[in-house]
Amino acid sequence: MEALVRLEDVTRSYRMGHSELHALRGVSLTVQRGEYLAVIGASGSGKSTLMHIAGCLDRPTSGRCWLDGTRVEDLPDDELSRLRNGKIGFVFQAFYLIPQLSVQENVEVPLVYSGVKRAQRSELAREVLERVGLGGRRAHRPNELSGGECQRVAIARALVGRPELLLADEPTGNLDRRTGQEITNLLEKHHAEGVAVVIVTHDVAKARRAQRILQMEDGRIQRELQGAEREQLVDALEPASGR
Amino acid sequence: MKSRGLQHLESARVGLRSIQAHKLRSALTMLGVIFGVAAVVSMLAIAGGARREAVEQIRLLGTNNIRVTHLGLTGKARADAEQKGSQGLSTKDADLIEASLRGLGEIAPVRFVDAPVLLRGRESSARVVATNSDYAAVTDFRAAQGRFLSELDVADAKRVAVLGASVARDLFGFRSPMGRRIRIGDDEYTVVGLMESKRVREGRATVIRVRDINRDVYIPIRTASTRFPLARDAGAIDELAIRVTDADEVSAVAPIVTRLIRATHHGADDFEIVVPAELLAQAQSTQRVFNVVMGSIAAISLLVGGIGIMNVMLTTVTERTREIGIRRAVGAPRSAILAQFLIETVLISASGGVVGIVLGFLMAQGINRFAGWETALSPLATASAFAVSALIGVVFGIYPARRAARMDPIGALRFE
Repeated sequence: MEALVRLEDVTRSYRMGHSELHALRGVSLTVQRGEYLAVIGASGSGKSTLMHIAGCLDRPTSGRCWLDGTRVEDLPDDELSRLRNGKIGFVFQAFYLIPQLSVQENVEVPLVYSGVKRAQRSELAREVLERVGLGGRRAHRPNELSGGECQRVAIARALVGRPELLLADEPTGNLDRRTGQEITNLLEKHHAEGVAVVIVTHDVAKARRAQRILQMEDGRIQRELQGAEREQLVDALEPASGR
Repeated sequence: MKSRGLQHLESARVGLRSIQAHKLRSALTMLGVIFGVAAVVSMLAIAGGARREAVEQIRLLGTNNIRVTHLGLTGKARADAEQKGSQGLSTKDADLIEASLRGLGEIAPVRFVDAPVLLRGRESSARVVATNSDYAAVTDFRAAQGRFLSELDVADAKRVAVLGASVARDLFGFRSPMGRRIRIGDDEYTVVGLMESKRVREGRATVIRVRDINRDVYIPIRTASTRFPLARDAGAIDELAIRVTDADEVSAVAPIVTRLIRATHHGADDFEIVVPAELLAQAQSTQRVFNVVMGSIAAISLLVGGIGIMNVMLTTVTERTREIGIRRAVGAPRSAILAQFLIETVLISASGGVVGIVLGFLMAQGINRFAGWETALSPLATASAFAVSALIGVVFGIYPARRAARMDPIGALRFE
């Protein structure tokens, strides 16, 4: 079966005045359907850029990208928007909710662009909000919610269009340990329901239950942590996790 | 395409929400358009009223008409005219023109007689107008009861009179004046007809002064020459009313009439020729200049209003950069972002337009009430004022909206 995401020798560089910044220096990666993948690395290692390119939010400077079997790096902007809308859900560190809209309306936003009618939108959003445990908060504004609740709304928004791929960029970075754990659990629950999940984080502890852990450094995928090495690293990084 | 429409409906709702969320800012933003549109609307109302008034008054004279008026000269001009041997406007001129017109139209000589009109000692402030039987046809002014002066009345210099509606009311109240006798000067006249009532507005600055014809009392012109003889030539008259059957020939006939009279008057400038149709055209061209000036002023205020809207929308786009990034990330195409901000701008400018139309209408009402100017606002003018205000939203909204649509999603998301 076709991989959900395939990147081949992808580079991405930005012009910064006279110098050039190489965020990605040749990355190859595949994400299978229903896989749970973690990308770890220090800040500036290029993991967010990788996520943006995998999520069709950005284009590579060179290399080839496939999403669900479709070559995407040269697709017109409108096509990329359509792919993001239909196949991908994003969760960001800073939640990125629209402050003027209610919880319910925030969750409905992606459905507006896929042309779902109002009544059905409302129904779908209600359903997914129940699933993330915010059924009773639908009329609230984001500024009336706690950080954990905001991230739940963001996850609901990411899931409402039934995407195949959930991309989470430091989803627990703005949350305390306990709330962070709840969010991670929530993401893992949806992975269990069949969505491919990619978590990008600098904190390996958050990724310890991932099926694969990739470590990035300086714009390259340095290695895949496996077996004993993986256990070791997790233990070393998180001595107080109490596993 | 269906989903496009849905998106735009949604954009409209979002735009409306955004306007509601920033009430004061939206109101201040609209102000420019409000005043611009109000200026346009009140201007159109005043212009429309003035045009209607001018047209009405000129119609009263008859657009097919040519009027030749005797000018009472004084001083040097009078001496000059006498030296040239001019006898002033007279029935001879009328006969000459009638002969030359040859079926092109009708002509009625008019003499204003300075004599009191009385009924059993009660005087009416009427103007005695001596004319012939063609006058009714020439001025398109008909008898409501009885008849107008007949050819026989004129030929026999009968002592009969036809009353204007106001005069009849003054003298007889609601009783019928038909067959009754009234006194004009020293003689008794039999009332044979009552004219229809005409709406006459003695308005503000208009191109021609129109006398209130409802106050006229008509008597045969030959009766006037025998009963009220003049010091000047017996055939002297004050006015010639000419009606040209075919409206298209009015402007061709007018110069011929001028040349004929000038010849018989030996070049003396003791008459004036008025062509209502030309006055109408003139009035309309004056109106056009007024419209251009007022239109430019309104256009400038609309331009300023539009720039104000654009300025605020640019700020709004910057403020909502994050929101734009979010919408793009969850799958909004550029066109949806463009539409969202464009619709919001059009909503602001069109709401400003609606308020402006109401304000302009009220201003026109105020002008009507306090200055007494007639105002008229056509549905077309209202609709175009609204269309212009919406168009301003499109024109001045396109730049901010394009700026929003062209943002790079990641840059927009990270914008602080």
